[in-house]
Amino acid sequence: MNLFRSEEHTRRWPLFNPRAEEGFISLAELAAFFGTETRHHMLDADYLSAWFPKRAAERRAFLERIGKATPFWLGTPSPP
Amino acid sequence: MADPQLMDRMFQLVMRSLIETGRARHYAELARTLGCSVEEGRQLLLAVMQAYPIGWLHPDTEYIASFPPLNNLPTQYRVTVRGEQKWFAQCGFEATSVTWLFPGATVRVEAPCLDCGEPVVVEMRDGRLLGVEPRGTVGHLNYGFGASRGRPPYL
Repeated sequence: MNLFRSEEHTRRWPLFNPRAEEGFISLAELAAFFGTETRHHMLDADYLSAWFPKRAAERRAFLERIGKATPFWLGTPSPP
Repeated sequence: MADPQLMDRMFQLVMRSLIETGRARHYAELARTLGCSVEEGRQLLLAVMQAYPIGWLHPDTEYIASFPPLNNLPTQYRVTVRGEQKWFAQCGFEATSVTWLFPGATVRVEAPCLDCGEPVVVEMRDGRLLGVEPRGTVGHLNYGFGASRGRPPYL
């Protein structure tokens, strides 16, 4: 999960995974993805018990909104 | 199963020690703060890391390596707040979440591009992107999410 100066720079990275063409995300989408509601509560006393468990559903909903609801992004098994 | 309230307290102690000093305190120090034995502190830390699997301990130790969005082990994602650079983000993605740990402050993330070594700079405040340099900067997920797809630090 890295930041690169451009998509071209990413593809030139020696460790670039050719199967990760769908792995790009804009900075605006990334900031929104990692800025969903639960993240606003990381300093709350009950973050671990009350907020963190809601994170997976929130992430899934966000990925669906931006058209990235694929196994690659959702962390679900790939189809056979 | 550890007491959820104690786990919440341990979580906040770890997170806040990272925010305040750039370093996560050891469980033996945290145990003292919590008023429990060192062994109870160790067990509590293990329970917290199990409940927060996006972080991890350094392999074969009980030292906190990663406690996202921050990292106890330095990464290329240097974080500067109020002119002070003493934090590291877990990865480029979590770097965009560090802003939520410093309400009202400008958070600057600077990292060398893994292709060319030239800098990538992202500035945020309260979740809002203030600046990205260069403008074409992108995030990239190299193996997909999910434990089977790659080692977490290299996703």
